[in-house]
Amino acid sequence: MYDNEFNAIFEKAKDKVDDIEILLSSGKSFSVRIHNQNVESFDYADSIGIGIRIIKDGRVGYAYTEELSDEAFSLIIKEAVANSETVENLEPVFFSNFPDLEQKLDIYSEELDKVKVEAKIDIAKKLESLALAADKRIFNVPYAAYSDGYGYAKIANSKGLHKESKTNHCVAFLMVLAQEGEDKKSGSDFIITRDFQKINPEKLVDKAVRQAIDLLNAEKPDTGQFPVVINNETMGALLSTFSGIFSAKNVQEGKSLLKGRIGQTIANSIVTIIDDGLHPDGMSTAPFDSEGYPSQKTLLINKGILTSFLHNNVTATIDKTKSTGNASRSYKSSLTVSPTNFVLQSGDYSKEDLLKSYDRIIELVSLQGLHSGANPISGDFSLAAEGFLYEKGVKKTGLSDFTVSGNFFQILQDIEKVGNDEIFNMQSCSAPSVLIKKISISSKSKQ
Amino acid sequence: MISKELIAKVLDCALSNGADFAELFLENTYNSTIRFYNGKTQQSVVGKDFGIGLRVFYGKSAIYAYTSDLSEKSLLAAAEAISKADQNDKIITPRELKNQQITNIHKMILPGENVAKKDKIDFIRIIDSTARGFNERVLQVDLTLLEKKQDILIANSEGLHVEDQRNYTRIFTMIIASNDKESQTCFDGPGALAGYEFIKTLDPVKIGADTAKSAVTMLSAKYAPSGTFPVVIDNGFGGVIFHEACGHSLEATSVAKGASIFAGKLNQQIASEKVTAIDDGTIENKWGSTNIDDEGTPTQKTILIDKGILKSYMIDKLGGRKMGMESTGSGRRQSYRYAPTSRMRNTYIAPGNDKFDDMIKSIDFGLYAKKMGGGSVLPGTGNFNFSVAEGYLIQNGKIAAPVRGATLIGNGGEILKKISMVSDNLDFSEGMCGSISGSIPTCVGQPAIKVDQIIIGGR
Repeated sequence: MYDNEFNAIFEKAKDKVDDIEILLSSGKSFSVRIHNQNVESFDYADSIGIGIRIIKDGRVGYAYTEELSDEAFSLIIKEAVANSETVENLEPVFFSNFPDLEQKLDIYSEELDKVKVEAKIDIAKKLESLALAADKRIFNVPYAAYSDGYGYAKIANSKGLHKESKTNHCVAFLMVLAQEGEDKKSGSDFIITRDFQKINPEKLVDKAVRQAIDLLNAEKPDTGQFPVVINNETMGALLSTFSGIFSAKNVQEGKSLLKGRIGQTIANSIVTIIDDGLHPDGMSTAPFDSEGYPSQKTLLINKGILTSFLHNNVTATIDKTKSTGNASRSYKSSLTVSPTNFVLQSGDYSKEDLLKSYDRIIELVSLQGLHSGANPISGDFSLAAEGFLYEKGVKKTGLSDFTVSGNFFQILQDIEKVGNDEIFNMQSCSAPSVLIKKISISSKSKQ
Repeated sequence: MISKELIAKVLDCALSNGADFAELFLENTYNSTIRFYNGKTQQSVVGKDFGIGLRVFYGKSAIYAYTSDLSEKSLLAAAEAISKADQNDKIITPRELKNQQITNIHKMILPGENVAKKDKIDFIRIIDSTARGFNERVLQVDLTLLEKKQDILIANSEGLHVEDQRNYTRIFTMIIASNDKESQTCFDGPGALAGYEFIKTLDPVKIGADTAKSAVTMLSAKYAPSGTFPVVIDNGFGGVIFHEACGHSLEATSVAKGASIFAGKLNQQIASEKVTAIDDGTIENKWGSTNIDDEGTPTQKTILIDKGILKSYMIDKLGGRKMGMESTGSGRRQSYRYAPTSRMRNTYIAPGNDKFDDMIKSIDFGLYAKKMGGGSVLPGTGNFNFSVAEGYLIQNGKIAAPVRGATLIGNGGEILKKISMVSDNLDFSEGMCGSISGSIPTCVGQPAIKVDQIIIGGR
């Protein structure tokens, strides 16, 4: 697809640049939200954009357009060249005809594309009606939603590289509000999948409703340091917030404290972290990255030891190593490094085992404010949290109105046990529940 | 950008299956970003966002579609797709489109494209060198100059046909200070609804020195205390407390469906008498201002809370239909890729009569939150959080040692009643606010305030 557009850009750029790379992404998406059993909103999207990266006299320039016309193509080439002239940093950038991935990935479902709109609306309606019927304390369902998306990517460069891929997925999401007396609490659940049949509204409702109800009239914990179990979804969210520490680009820019620590122990020996661009269930699984480099599986922490950073072709050249297939950019942005599917490997313990490990344990089930209360460079975090107090493995009470504070680098060392309940979250980050020796909890002032 | 005849045809087609309102939003945006770190210009990206969003209402339901393909065929296909979502008999036809002239109250003097890139980089370089020269522990200075020119056209079946141009300019500074073992990060990001003349009003030496000073100071800071304490939240970005604790919960987006703690509380006391809060999109050249909102309604100054009494919500067209109220000109969206919804503009607590020094003096042990980071809230429960980027202990009525960033949490319904002092030094800060219609420029603002009790997430 889009051969005419690509040929036109190559042709126009021929005499004006030394090398050029063209990245196109297009997508279609659909979403529906239900409120009071009526369609609250219904969105269709059809998007497209082309971004170019050029090399001229050793300098790199970028430009993009969402308008696909000859005039627009001429303009972006002119602008990319002008931009390259202002760049002072001479990065070792080169384009190449990278090989194709050897295995075939199953990331596009034809079945999903055939699902009727009515069936999609039904899922969202069912989420709302089941949630309202589940318990009389559920008074509102602010979000009962279904969405799906189809994405197409094409990349080509003047060294002969020419690749394309397509993928799709669907999401069902539910948020409920529960009230008892003056107290209000929320609960939510979601599923991301390529198999429409896997959406089980009953299961989503059960989990979201239980979370909200169990937290009603929750208590404030004491201020102090306590052992905690961070549940699988919450651990995934924490992990994705700090995944940038493994980016070679951040390391090279002085934005990662892991600089110079390859081969050193940075986590407890039960911790193994992988970036898996080929994971069959991952939403970021793709045959190639934003430079056209084939995706791969990269071991980052092996039994506590830092083994690799994530690279694109530029950072790899600077570090005299090979790309790990983590080049990332949208057609609108410049090249960087991003994780694909980030996985903390499962351990041996069931969640019940983890919760029995100490006489008193706080289970953390949600963290709020990750975008503001966590510093991805220093590793420090201070976040609003909700959870439950367990005594000798038995759930005693819900806990809310408290914060947890700590440091991510410390957490990696303080993980005492790793659970076996690994689950992907919305950020393509998969983690099991983990037991942490101690963490600071702040709420009631000490008497 | 597109003929009136085609617009009329598209709106007519969108109404063809019984929708009672149709709207078209066309955008042509020029974005330019220059990024500078390691003491060098690293990247410069320019590009064009281009597309159209079509929306219809069936009573209180909305259907939205967008595309970048502006051919007649594509637009009519999109219009037909949205009209088919709910099949009824056609009840209305669009009124004749009438050009509406707007008064531009946010003049632009110097378009960014008329300024040489070299001049822009020279300005950036002064921030960089000042910060690096400030202290040897300044490890990295990361600067981004953002310039955006957004041309929009909005037309609807009520006959509205209006165009506007919005120019945004912002310089973003991030400084990392490090002492081998640890690092601290500080930000600064002034911006305006204006051209490059805004940058000329800024002092790059002051930006570099102040931001570097914050980062280096925080490097030697101890952890903040844990527990519930009184807090003085300084002016400017301190307004993020109101934005999170209350602002989002006053948007029709959550109020209209009863999923806000402030739903049904108009004319009730929801805050301390010291609190008067305003959302004003009309302040000249302010980052969160516009001439018209993204539904074509003229922007307003909306009094939300008057001496503690809830006076108004922030309402868009669809929210207005659901609530039986008029739009307050608050319909906003990031781009044509988002259906508009009710959002904040420049939201602030009005100045009071208390003095900053008296606030500090009134506290035996507490926190002085000088610079704030971002935050978030769940309007349905009112539970909010926001982070302190630069804080100091208050001991025996005096500002004492610096303490590290910590998150402050509370409930919007309770915290507004605990604002016991409001000073007279109103100031604003610029930020980006994210919600279901994307990320949009907003200002937060306030004079320094004292909150009697808030949970501090220290260690």
